[in-house]
Amino acid sequence: MACRPRTDLCTTTRRSDAICHAPRVATTAICFLLILATFCRSVPDAPAQPSTDRPASSAHSVTLRFVSWKPDHPRLWDEAITQFTNAHPHISVVRELAPHSSTAYHDLLTQKLKNRDTTVDVFFMDVIWVPEFAAAGWARPLDGRFSSIMREEFLPATVAVGRYGEHFYGVPSRIDAGLLYYRRDLLAKYGFTAPATWEELIHQAEQILAGERQAHPTLRGYSAPFKQYEGLVCHMLEFIAGHGGALLTADGTTSTLSAPDTLAAVQFVRDRIIGRLAPRAALTYQEPESLSVFLQGHAVFHRNWPYAWELANNETRSTIVGKVAVAPLPGFAPGRTAAALGGWLYGISTYSQHPDEAWALIEFLSGHAMQKRFAQEAGIAPSRAALFSDADLLVAAPQLRNHFSVLQSATARPRSPVYPAVSHLLQRYFSRALAIDHLDLAQEAALTDAQIDRLLTLTRTAP
Amino acid sequence: MTGSSRLTRHRDGPAAWMMVAPALFVTLVFALYPVLDSLWLSLHHIFVGVPTLGRPFIGLDNYLALLLDPAAHQALFVTFAFVVLSTLLELACGLVIALVIHEHFRGRGLVRAAILIPWAIPTVVASQLWRYIFNDQYGFANLLLFGDRITQYVPWLAYPTVAFGIIVLADVWKTSSFAALLMLAGLQVIPDDLYDAAKVDGANLWQRFRHITLPLLKPAMLLALLFRTMDAFRVFDLVFVMTQGGPGDATQVLQFYGYQTLFTEGRLGYGSAVSVTVFLMILSLSLVYLRAIGSSLLERGRA
Repeated sequence: MACRPRTDLCTTTRRSDAICHAPRVATTAICFLLILATFCRSVPDAPAQPSTDRPASSAHSVTLRFVSWKPDHPRLWDEAITQFTNAHPHISVVRELAPHSSTAYHDLLTQKLKNRDTTVDVFFMDVIWVPEFAAAGWARPLDGRFSSIMREEFLPATVAVGRYGEHFYGVPSRIDAGLLYYRRDLLAKYGFTAPATWEELIHQAEQILAGERQAHPTLRGYSAPFKQYEGLVCHMLEFIAGHGGALLTADGTTSTLSAPDTLAAVQFVRDRIIGRLAPRAALTYQEPESLSVFLQGHAVFHRNWPYAWELANNETRSTIVGKVAVAPLPGFAPGRTAAALGGWLYGISTYSQHPDEAWALIEFLSGHAMQKRFAQEAGIAPSRAALFSDADLLVAAPQLRNHFSVLQSATARPRSPVYPAVSHLLQRYFSRALAIDHLDLAQEAALTDAQIDRLLTLTRTAP
Repeated sequence: MTGSSRLTRHRDGPAAWMMVAPALFVTLVFALYPVLDSLWLSLHHIFVGVPTLGRPFIGLDNYLALLLDPAAHQALFVTFAFVVLSTLLELACGLVIALVIHEHFRGRGLVRAAILIPWAIPTVVASQLWRYIFNDQYGFANLLLFGDRITQYVPWLAYPTVAFGIIVLADVWKTSSFAALLMLAGLQVIPDDLYDAAKVDGANLWQRFRHITLPLLKPAMLLALLFRTMDAFRVFDLVFVMTQGGPGDATQVLQFYGYQTLFTEGRLGYGSAVSVTVFLMILSLSLVYLRAIGSSLLERGRA
């Protein structure tokens, strides 16, 4: 940029003019240096260097970079960060907002970590990323800080997902599990209670739709995310595990999509759910779209994570305030229900220059007081066991009482450092199974099994 | 700048190199290095999530795997279908637009500006726009076709073939005006005398188009074809925003597949092999085109 005006000046004079040469050489050199400087900053594999803006002597003005997704409740997050910086005046926190979608956030965060970016200190980790982050050496082991005494305060499932091999890499911030939301008013009107099996749910939906057809022609039976993305894997896992199937064998080495129980569950979703119980449009829905259908009162049943409760009862966002109830997802036999385990952990980057300050932030955000506040105000299910019997909290968020058993027994997705690649194959298989009408399921399942098995053999040598 | 022949080599050399240096440096570092590095990476087996594998050199194994990968076949098929369909439609629409805005009529400036608007909108924004237009509940397409008969609303993007068609449509809408611009430039250099002479000889409108406009427009059309084909091969944002490759992999294009394997799955070697394959395809295509354009320009020069 700085080079242009000078060069233009020179074109009007004679080329051999000595006066002209000097600025040219100088500008060339400046350009060269500028390019060199930008290049050095953006070289992917440049070794980690101490950031220059850190004063060597004092503990003052440490800037922590907290990479998180676009928050549902920005006001709450701002409050939490302000409280933290008030308590720790020498630490300031910069929050970098990444996209809300887990996949898009993963791509952005891992790109920074691959580049050994020192401007990442604290980040959110989806429960499915822990093996990958641990094996790649991106997340710091936190065993020393996240002590066994501290670990006992959290729900065992949330602590377990933060572990890979011998070490713990994440502190649980929240726990998620798939839940069935339903229109309490409509079920009551037709004399139904929460369905325990899918057959029962379909029967109830058909009765209600038949009765409401005149008054509410756009009412649909079921709304859930079936787009080709990670959410599809979660929901399909719920159908499959609810049918007694699994994605992988118990030892995690072999894909079992061709197993009869797994195949039957996928067949069920394809034949009975898509285009029948749920509109075909569900194939284009991620969580927000499927939730919006429910919030606008266009669905009897809806599958989502615990956060949806607060939104469903939020006057400004929902048309069905007070008409919603929540239950465990149905199974294929009474009592045999499965919910996908989700949730987020706080991790510290291996390349962070401020691990102590980063730990202080994590301790604060995952503490009892903060989790209680997020549960009360945002409906987020806490990962601290004590909160589920906190009298204040249960008054503000009574649904947590029902969530507890579901959260305790949720089914984890495959735990592997190559999970992102496995997930893509699963997304592809499920989406093709549901969207392509004449696809041979057994053949497609066998093909995908072989591809996943090939991927999994890569990790045999890994710890 | 004066010709270099007047200057002796030893005086000019260092200064010339000095001046070329920044451009050369930028080219080497930002164009050549990444290409060569991708090529080098694509010959290795690298899984970011499994560092214990190391980075073994495996020769062309990634390319062999690519040949046998059904997801890659699907992506290749979708990409080719996209390139052929969108490029042909864009050339056709571009030609019509160019012919219209070449004519003299009231408000031509306004029409010319309006036609450029889609091209000026960033693709990510345009993709979001089209995603909303074909939304199953509040999309404009449904409103236009069915009005308030909301029970008939169609979930366009939920049908594999339709979703693919919509991606093509969005691309044609967005970039036809670019093809039109190139062809408009071509139209403007055709001398009016030729048309006048043809009129005197009694040629009708179609004959004038067929025997004057089309042959003389050929270089511009080839140029538009070159740019559009290469661009269509690189389609990414439309898929990323609108469909994420779904439903059922119907809109999975090579570039998005490469992005997924590289960035989401962390398979640096395999993902690089996908990128290099796309690069080689575009390179060979552009060489074919450049030969075609070069020879057509030569013919024109002789004529």
